[in-house]
Amino acid sequence: MATSICRTLKYFQPITCQNIKYVASLLDVRLPQPVFVPIRSKKRYFIPPAVNVKTQPEQEAKARAAGVVVRQQYIERPINISCTAGIFDPYVPPEGDARLSTLSKEGLKQRTEQLRQSAASQLSIRKIKDHDPDFSTKAFPELAQQIFIDAHAALTQFNKEKLHSLVTERCYPEMVRGNRYKTLRWRFIESLEPPRVVHARCPDMISKGNLYGQVTLRMHSRQTLAIYDRFGRLMLGDEDEPRDVLEYLVMERHLVNPYGRWRLHGKIVPAWAPPKDPIIKTVMIPGPKLKPEDEFENLNYQIPKPKAVQWYK
Amino acid sequence: MGWLLGSSSTLSQVSCLHTSPELNSKHWERRNLIVYPPQQKDEPRRPAEIHHCRRQIKYSKDKMWYLAKLIRGMTIDQALTQLEFNDKKGAKIVKEVLLEAQDMAVKNHNVEYKSNLYIAESFSGKGKYLKRIRYHGRGMFGIMDKVHCHYFVKLVEGVPPKVEQKTGFDQAKEYVEQLRNRTIIHSL
Repeated sequence: MATSICRTLKYFQPITCQNIKYVASLLDVRLPQPVFVPIRSKKRYFIPPAVNVKTQPEQEAKARAAGVVVRQQYIERPINISCTAGIFDPYVPPEGDARLSTLSKEGLKQRTEQLRQSAASQLSIRKIKDHDPDFSTKAFPELAQQIFIDAHAALTQFNKEKLHSLVTERCYPEMVRGNRYKTLRWRFIESLEPPRVVHARCPDMISKGNLYGQVTLRMHSRQTLAIYDRFGRLMLGDEDEPRDVLEYLVMERHLVNPYGRWRLHGKIVPAWAPPKDPIIKTVMIPGPKLKPEDEFENLNYQIPKPKAVQWYK
Repeated sequence: MGWLLGSSSTLSQVSCLHTSPELNSKHWERRNLIVYPPQQKDEPRRPAEIHHCRRQIKYSKDKMWYLAKLIRGMTIDQALTQLEFNDKKGAKIVKEVLLEAQDMAVKNHNVEYKSNLYIAESFSGKGKYLKRIRYHGRGMFGIMDKVHCHYFVKLVEGVPPKVEQKTGFDQAKEYVEQLRNRTIIHSL
């Protein structure tokens, strides 16, 4: 029998050392050696059915009759929820946000009235400052931008641990889905405008008082992105062509948790955002099912266009 | 499964390994997980390779070999048509495997046109057999094997390479040349 031969051989081989055993052999100290007892067994092609075996309910009845009491087993597993499932009360970016130049009157008006207006945001920021005294609307955007750059750099290297610490669990699968066997090349060239806090909310999950802080930032920057597929062929983007990107990032932190950190929670894509570039590949969109006598041209089939809604990444 | 980054050194290691059907069938699924580094703009476009297999098919490996040999080197559309009108039991299974592989290619491996694939490698291997008793007369018995097989296929993007057909005349010419090139060594 194969296993028994292995075990008998191990018994006769010089026992390989690791750490303590190596030191023990050097210093002539006798450690209790493990004894390998060979087991004799024969491979059976036909295993006969077990006789006089009781089924589960019969066994339980017998145990109860004998007076054996089994304590109720609670099959529990504690789960730690450290991020919310979505973006609560999302920020709706005003139409034409990046179109107006900052120097014109309308542009300036837009900038100045943003954060002051919303009372709920002010309340949330005060609540966040209660729990986290280091938070300030002036210093936070720089920090958040650094987190954003680090998170995307970790994504290109696919450093899972670092990515988990910089990005919440809700954002992680959205960032990583489909990218495992692809090569990403991303570069943050410069920031065109200093990032600003535009929105803040403090929702609580499940029980009252379990506060999470969500802060939305507006970032205008220049980035390059190129995605290569499994074989090194370019799928999307261009490595040498920088693009101006206006993004609304949502950062989240579990305020009640003293070890909580500000992490990227998601992005808001406004309804008026320009459409994305198509991929370098022709894709087949399934059409209507044709009967044998129909022709596709005669059907006047309208290809459905996606609705312009705000969505979250 | 790990994410194996295929750098040039790894590729050269793979190329000098002895790759015969028996040795590489254990890791067939793993070959879909290697990632090649991004290509430069001047390099020729690397053709996509998709490895697919089905394990423990209830069919004989020798009978499956005939079907595997049939579709070797064909385009995928041609192979599918041939298998559809083939009467063997394995033909239906091989057709399913090819359709699955084609679907995987388009969805997961960034293949642009689903008809632009050809069958680069296709072979069958022995699966795990179950053993039963076959009863003969006079109390004699034999051990009956319930045969199973694996089927492996590798689809590559692009046009299938042209295999040069050697006519009988060419072969005869080569033979005559071989005879003419014979010499006697250490002669005067």
